[in-house]
Formats: sequence, C-alpha cells, structure tokens
Amino acid sequence: MRRTRAVEAWTVEPLDRFVGETGARLTLLMTPAGQVLAQQGFTRAVDVMASAALGAAIFSSTGAIARMLGEREFRALNHQGRHYGVFLGALDASRGKLLVLVVYGPDSSLGLVQLFFEDLAEQLVVAAPEPEVRHGPILAADFERELDESLASLFGR
Amino acid sequence: MSLVNFTTREITCKIVYYGPGRSGKTTNLQYIYGRVPDDRRGRMVSLATETERTLFFDFLPLELGTISGFTTRFHLYTVPGQVYYNSTRKLVLQGADGVVFVADSQVRQLDENIESLQNLQSNLIEMDDDMRSMPLVLQYNKQDLPPQLILRPPELDEALNFWGLPSFPSDALRGVGVFETLKAISEQVLRKLSEEASQ
Amino acid sequence: MTHPYVRLLGQITRVGGVRGAMLVVADDGLVVAESLMEGIGGAAVAALAASLTRRFAMVTKTSAVGELGFLHLQGEDGTLAIVPAPTGVLVVAVGGSDMNVGLARLEMLRIAEVAR
Repeated sequence: MRRTRAVEAWTVEPLDRFVGETGARLTLLMTPAGQVLAQQGFTRAVDVMASAALGAAIFSSTGAIARMLGEREFRALNHQGRHYGVFLGALDASRGKLLVLVVYGPDSSLGLVQLFFEDLAEQLVVAAPEPEVRHGPILAADFERELDESLASLFGR
Repeated sequence: MSLVNFTTREITCKIVYYGPGRSGKTTNLQYIYGRVPDDRRGRMVSLATETERTLFFDFLPLELGTISGFTTRFHLYTVPGQVYYNSTRKLVLQGADGVVFVADSQVRQLDENIESLQNLQSNLIEMDDDMRSMPLVLQYNKQDLPPQLILRPPELDEALNFWGLPSFPSDALRGVGVFETLKAISEQVLRKLSEEASQ
Repeated sequence: MTHPYVRLLGQITRVGGVRGAMLVVADDGLVVAESLMEGIGGAAVAALAASLTRRFAMVTKTSAVGELGFLHLQGEDGTLAIVPAPTGVLVVAVGGSDMNVGLARLEMLRIAEVAR
C-alpha cells in the first residue's frame, strides 16, 4: 500500500483517509510558496518539488486573474486531461493558507475528489498545530563552514 | 518564507534570481544544474516562450546537505525580465527568502538595470518587505565582454549598489562568479533565518 | 426559467415515493441537473453514485453479463436507482421504501434515451 510521506506528522492521517476514499494517484500538501508538507504516490522526490512549484504557480497566477474579476481567489481549480485530471484546492489552517494538489485517474472522478476534499480540508484544519515558536538560534554559530563545505561538494570543488 | 521543521529537522528556502531581460538569470540556473550531481538536484523546470525567453519562471531544487543538523534545501527561481511581465514577477517573488539581482554589465543596458532594480524595490514594498530586510546580493554578469562594451564592477557599484551589498562580477555562461554568488546569498538567507528564530 | 433537463426529471419525481432525481456525468461524478427534496446532498450522492456505477460496470463486464443496465440499491429507509445512459450520463433516482421502483425505472430509461 502506498503511504503518505510527510514532513509534518499531523498531515498523515487525513491524507491517508483522503487517498483511500478517492483513489487519488498523487496527492501533495504544500504552502502557497510551493514548500511541501506531505505527499503520497510520488516515487521520486524531485518530481514532488517540481510539481509543488508548478502547482503553487498555477494557484497564484489564477488568483491574480480572480482578483482582476473582483473575486478574492479561486478556492478550487480543476484541469482535465484525457486520462488524468489535476485538482488544486486551498484551505485555511492556523498556520496560514495551505494548498492541496491531487492527480486522479479514470478510477476516480472530479466529483469524488471535490466531495472528499471538503472532508480533508476540515480534518487538516482541526489537526494543524499552532505555528512552532522556538527561541534561540536554529543554526550553530559556525554554520558558514558547513555551508561552504556543502556548496563546495555540490560544485565539485 | 522559509520552511523550518524541527521534528524532521529540515529547512527549505526560496531564492529568486531577479534582473532585466537577457541579463543571465536562467544561465545562472543552467550552469548550476550542469555542475551539480544528479542526486543533489531535481529536475529543472523552465516555463519559457518559443524563443526561449522566460515566460513565468525557471525552477531548480537543490539539496545542500546537512547544516547544523538540518537537511537543507534551496529552491532557486528566476523571474521573467521583460518589463511587461511584472504581474508574474510579483507572483514568483512571493515568499522569497533571498534575492540575487543579476545585472547586465553592458553599458547600453544600464537604464534597464536601474529600472529593474527600482521595480524590485517597489514589488518588495508592495509585499511589505523592503531591500534592507531582504537578503540580497548583486551579480554583475557578462564581465567577459570586450571592455569598451561594459562597465567595470566599481562603476556598476556606483550606479546600482547604494546599499553597499555584496556584489560579484560574473560570466554565467562559463560559470565564473556563479558559485560565489550562490554562496553569498545562501549565507545571508541562513543567517537571517537563524537570527529571526532567536528573537 | 427551468432548465429543460430539470423539467425532464419531473417525469421521475412525479412517480410515487420518489424524493429526488438527478442527471450526473458518469466520468466526473458531477451534477448536470437535479430536482431533489431538502436534506439530500446532491453533490455527494452524484459523486458516490458515479463511483459505484463504475465499479459495478466492471463487475458485469468481467462476469460476462454485458453492459450494466440498471442498478438498484435497497436501504433500510429507501431506495437508490441508477440507469447509465449511452451518452455518458447517469440518471439517478432517490426514494423512500414506498418508491414505485418499476415505474421509476421505466421513466429513467425513457430519460436515458433522450438525455443527450
């Protein structure tokens, strides 16, 4: 069985349930800037990042069109292909707006995805913890040295 | 806005390459893409027109490795440079943790550089951010061109760098200065991230 | 003005015991037209009915009994009936335990013929 891979654990249960109910092929939970919080169905991490960047871009560009029309934003978008459809929906959690990108195939439908997206949004809003407030620096004082080494190895220097 | 997760110890930051049309923003990303091993980078996504001009953005995710115990990722974006694409530039700039301003060193491009820098400033202000709080470095690209066609770094500093920001001469096509620029912006972004958390 | 599809659904909702009827896109599970009594969640019934129909259509095909022609679910408090039209639309009827299923089915088949 496919499992949700999550950066944040509170997302796992609602996403597992959503995928079980809808039969979605790929599901991605992210911030409006395209930062991934959880994913299910993707096999390559690199595809996750590209999909998140593109999904966030679709949402923000159609949001600009919405504002031109006097709408605040579009809450949900659907792109229909011959075999697959892509659904993008937004929800407001305590930490701010989050986006969900869903790819569904012929064994699911837009109606099912829309229906269970409402449940998913509610469950995520309930499960989302308050934003984490930490005191004290995140990185060690000599983080530059580690950064230099990382970049040097990245560039083969 | 950067994403820091203390449970899984991951940091993800967004860096935007800004600047006038054809200054070499995409070339910076293409050079990085070409130099970095497969397992440390993702697919490079380019939303370009048929003539290879950036229409919306280029995107390149990088795995930096572990820094202070955090798995650190950078998402590099470019914006379209042409003046009339400002609405898409604003979209890409949203949530940026740092900006690299890529200037075209050619003498005849000076006005375009100034216009683009002012455009960056007004877009940041519109987003309740400004040049002084946003990590920012300048890159003076195309320094490989014949000297009579270009301005030298001190001249460009004079014309563009009122804030005394770090600036780097470059020839992005051959990779000169690309690494130094990325290193400088990475340091600034991570330092700011760490300082914000400690307040 | 009432949409012609909604007028068409009146032929089903007139049948005794029927509480509502819908036309649903089979692929999307989205409602095309509905005439429902209060308390029936049209969008949810449409999405789930389309999903069920897809599954049952697979069952009839793999058991070599041909295309799915009529789906009838009997619950404790009522009935759900579905007729897949050849055009890719589902005719859906929801009723109480007293629903006249035979007559409802007849009307649903008629609508399936004309719903293009």
